[in-house]
Amino acid sequence: MKRTHWWGRVYLLAVFAVMYTPIVYLMYYSFNSGGTMHDFQSFTFKWYRDVLSDDRLLIIVLNTIVIALLSAAVATILGVIGALAIYYVKRQRTKNALLALNNVLIVSPDVIIGASFLLLFTIAGIKLGFTSVLLSHIAFSVPIVVLMVLPKLEEMSPTLIDAARDLGAGPWQVLSGVVLPFLAPSIWAGFFMALTYSLDDFAVTFFVTGNGFSTLSVEIYSRARQGISLSINALSTLLFLFTMLLVIGYYVLSQKGGRMYGIGGRK
Amino acid sequence: MHFPLSYVLIRNSEHQEDGGLEVNGEEIIRFERVTKEYDGTVVLDDVSFAMERGKFYTLLGPSGCGKTTILRLIAGFIEPTEGTIYFHGKPIQNVPPNKRQVNTVFQDYALFPHLDVFENVAFGLRVKKMKEADIRQKVSEALRFVNLEGYERRRIQEMSGGQRQRVAIARAIVNEPEVLLLDEPLSALDLKLRTEMQYELRELQRRLGITFIFVTHDQEEALAMSDYIFVLNKGKIQQFGTPKDIYDEPINRFVADFIGESNILSGRMIDDFLVEFAGKRFVCVDRGFAPNEPVDVVIRPEDLELAAPEDGQIVIRVDSLLFRGVHYEICGYDENGNEWLVHSTKKAEVGETVGLRFEPEAIHVMRVEREDEGA
Repeated sequence: MKRTHWWGRVYLLAVFAVMYTPIVYLMYYSFNSGGTMHDFQSFTFKWYRDVLSDDRLLIIVLNTIVIALLSAAVATILGVIGALAIYYVKRQRTKNALLALNNVLIVSPDVIIGASFLLLFTIAGIKLGFTSVLLSHIAFSVPIVVLMVLPKLEEMSPTLIDAARDLGAGPWQVLSGVVLPFLAPSIWAGFFMALTYSLDDFAVTFFVTGNGFSTLSVEIYSRARQGISLSINALSTLLFLFTMLLVIGYYVLSQKGGRMYGIGGRK
Repeated sequence: MHFPLSYVLIRNSEHQEDGGLEVNGEEIIRFERVTKEYDGTVVLDDVSFAMERGKFYTLLGPSGCGKTTILRLIAGFIEPTEGTIYFHGKPIQNVPPNKRQVNTVFQDYALFPHLDVFENVAFGLRVKKMKEADIRQKVSEALRFVNLEGYERRRIQEMSGGQRQRVAIARAIVNEPEVLLLDEPLSALDLKLRTEMQYELRELQRRLGITFIFVTHDQEEALAMSDYIFVLNKGKIQQFGTPKDIYDEPINRFVADFIGESNILSGRMIDDFLVEFAGKRFVCVDRGFAPNEPVDVVIRPEDLELAAPEDGQIVIRVDSLLFRGVHYEICGYDENGNEWLVHSTKKAEVGETVGLRFEPEAIHVMRVEREDEGA
């Protein structure tokens, strides 16, 4: 068995190499004192120092994080309510229609969503900037949260709710004492997904940022267009490491959740 | 036919039994002409009965007979389409489940996976905002009751099927309900554990002294545990009575077939105490039928005795033989092609011709259902 699958491992390795090589390449040259991406002269932290001493950039990083946390939090609340609403729809056809509407938003191209938000904000007279970015991020994160929470909700035995009511719980106590704790792992997962979506979103944000407000992705894009500076590499590396941290955080949380709710079905 | 003295039975024209409209002791639950429909499908059809405080009742029937519907109606998860349900003589329509003095042990136990054993049991008390010290005391009392001391901090996932069931029972009884509803709580357990839990549940009911309403499709379980059994089929109560009444005096073909194994033959009542079936006339102990009224006759397999062919009241040719441990299960056909099932400690060979003997008391005569219920 061990020997027959050696090529499987090679294939897997090749796939990951193809996916990660550009990132590693980018990270590698962020330490290049030469200032170009083709010949490595000597090791330096100069570009990182540049990034960290750039006040404007730090404000943008802060903006990005605030937007991500706020939009993820609001989207999580709205998404959980939405998932509950869809769960309680009795007619299967209505349910499917709502789900389809939800999923369309996830698969439709960001450019179209961005453009339509721009149109909406202009018509509604909302000034482009922090508010418009926050609103659009909330809007595209809600369907993701719904998609993360709904399967867990469907998985929940309906007798759990009956049991809680049977034991004297009113509607609010059923929700806070049984349903939400049961959903907790998927709510966290939804929150983290929303967070990463918001952090790395470029297309939608690009449409709805006005003058003077920017997020990291948009800033990196505009700097890359201005000319080659390895501080962009440094910035991208930091962003990548931060995302990795989030992924690890999500992994640890879901592992913990898995153990809590006995996904293995241990008897 | 004799019924428990404490109950007056009224039969309506459709041969549906009303399960004792009067009770001797304190009445706790009463259904008055209750009907439940789901999307036009009738699952409970004009059912009336009363239940007494402190007894063990079993609702017995095949799946889809309406037994779980009755349970859910009592718990308050659903409302009747027609009719009234009384609790202590007061109608309880519009009283939500969380305000009823009733608790349920669910088929899948419905334990809260995010809470440990202690918190599961404490759930109802916490909802009532009881003091922490009282909660501790009551929960440990309840856990002692179901022999689960020392398991307080265990996760539900770490408990075995039998233990989970005890947690579910503890969680229900800690609220001191007047009625405990049990929805096929033993069906997920293996045979040995199931038999053990039957004793434990019966014992628990005696110690608590509250009304148990137990739903099952297992007739042995029902016979072993209950004070009274309701046999249900197609949304109607077929028969109500003590386990012995129901086993010895099934009211119709369905009940006879559902409760235990039996030989059911079509026949006709010649006169009082004289019935004809399998081509012969037999003396029996039943009367009160019209002359020549078509009837169904039940003879339990354990009431048949093997004899020499010339001594037999019925002569059968043995078709198959199974050793069941306590007895042999012998199956054969008489000259008219009727199938006979015999439980005997004596053995008969396949292909052998044997006689069957039975006492007049072993013959139980039933009125024929107008529409044929059951197989």
